Amino acid sequence: MTASSSFSEISTKKIIQMNDVSTSYDSKNYALHGINLSIDKGTNYAIVGPSGSGKSTLLKLMNGMMTPSKGTIKIDYQTPNMNNKKFKIMMHKIGYIPQSLGLIKNISVLENTMIGALPRLGIIQSFLKNFPEEEINEAKRILKLVGLSGKEERKAYMLSGGEKRRVAIARALMQKPTILLADEIVSELDHVTAREIMNLIADAQKQMNLTAIMVHHDMQLALEYANRVAVVKEGQKVLEIGVEGDSIVDFQTGDLTTEEIMEMYSDESKK
Amino acid sequence: MTHIETELFGVAFWSMLETIQMAFIGTIVGVAIAFPLSILSARNLNSKYVYGPVRAILAAIRTFPSILWAMLFVIMVGLGTFAGVLAIIMYTVGFVAKLQYEVIETIDSDPMDAVSSIGVSKWQLIRYVVFPESASHFLSQMLYMFDYNVRQSSILGIVGAGGIGFYIIKHIEFFEYGKATVFMIVVLITVLIIDWGSVKIRDKYIIKSQHGMEVTAK
Ligand SMILES: Nc1ncnc2c1ncn2[C@@H]1O[C@H](COP(=O)(O)OP(=O)(O)O)[C@@H](O)[C@H]1O
Ligand SMILES: [Mg+2]
Repeated sequence: MTASSSFSEISTKKIIQMNDVSTSYDSKNYALHGINLSIDKGTNYAIVGPSGSGKSTLLKLMNGMMTPSKGTIKIDYQTPNMNNKKFKIMMHKIGYIPQSLGLIKNISVLENTMIGALPRLGIIQSFLKNFPEEEINEAKRILKLVGLSGKEERKAYMLSGGEKRRVAIARALMQKPTILLADEIVSELDHVTAREIMNLIADAQKQMNLTAIMVHHDMQLALEYANRVAVVKEGQKVLEIGVEGDSIVDFQTGDLTTEEIMEMYSDESKK
Repeated sequence: MTHIETELFGVAFWSMLETIQMAFIGTIVGVAIAFPLSILSARNLNSKYVYGPVRAILAAIRTFPSILWAMLFVIMVGLGTFAGVLAIIMYTVGFVAKLQYEVIETIDSDPMDAVSSIGVSKWQLIRYVVFPESASHFLSQMLYMFDYNVRQSSILGIVGAGGIGFYIIKHIEFFEYGKATVFMIVVLITVLIIDWGSVKIRDKYIIKSQHGMEVTAK
């Protein structure tokens, strides 16, 4: 295989594919129903929708924390599942930032960041927190990148909301990720800080050829930063659009027909 | 009114010190054994084939009060402080392990999920999430248990398991209430001092770090 053909293969690789995926937390209600999506490597993909529509569940399916009750999911051609050995190794390179960030409050910014490097560390090293020099340097480089230089030794609970998000991003970048999943991490921030954080991720994404899947509450933010935006409502993907600059280049209704979408919206207006 | 024999305070002091030593060693060793057991009993870290049997053993240990453990150990290893220390260890293991697995089970699932989604090993998860997220509770339980074990050790002497209780029961048996009172006063003062000390430590270290947790929870 020549270098150029492998390049074109990589650049169009479908890194995430979901086929008719449904899942539920209890036996009665679907949290997600009949989801189809396909994400190219390197895409900045946004998921938007009202709260309770299934956005967080969608991310948890992508990192193997949940499994679908129906349909198939492939992440880099592997089925995400904690018990799948190949996928477990892939998890090392899937950065996941939950809605509440999941930082460890009583340990330092540096140690929180170092958690992203744990798959690369040995048992004794990680137990004694005896981190190799090059990993410490890498952590410091990333913390500088996210704007936290000089705060390495600060305990996580002492940080502001914006700073906490930067630590969570640093932890994910420390994984040297190929995929970044971020759940509404800028929703609670003010306008300016939210954009600072989004720019930071956009920069890292370009540098690392990262595929980013970010859940947003705010459609505006999604349109501003993403190449593709999926809209989820009541557990179903209602539409997906491609964005280039200020214009919408591709408009697809999702798994619902236009009539079904209209019906959903008119249902809502009746309530 | 009974005459209080103040010249006995020396003996009382030394036997109290022995009692505190028993409680101290028993607490430390008991807590050290309890911690790994609490990890094995936590439902969010293990399958039921692991936590089931470990919990059953812990429950069995807890059915005996420490005085019964003391009697059992006096029979097994003979009279003296060693039997008392063993009794305290058993009691501490049974209780601290239970308190601690309950704490581990209430650890916020978000940091757990965030860190386990990286695909780290279970040891790393314990070291980087379970330890730091439960450390302050663990310290608090250790203090509480030490406090409690000093009181317990003061009566284990009744069954011959060492400590100040031996003198108290001996003097009471011989109707020497004045002498018994001296020992009881020493126990009272010691318990008050330890109580005061643990409040100070709690305020200084534990409340502060738990407050930190609350602040970040928002
Ligand atoms: N742990 C859970 N247990 C039961 N139901 C849940 C749980 N998490 C989410 N759900 C339900 O699943 C649906 C989708 O939730 P979620 O994916 O969190 O939505 P979103 O992130 O869009 O707000 C909602 O109806 C929610 O109530
Ligand atoms: Mg959500």
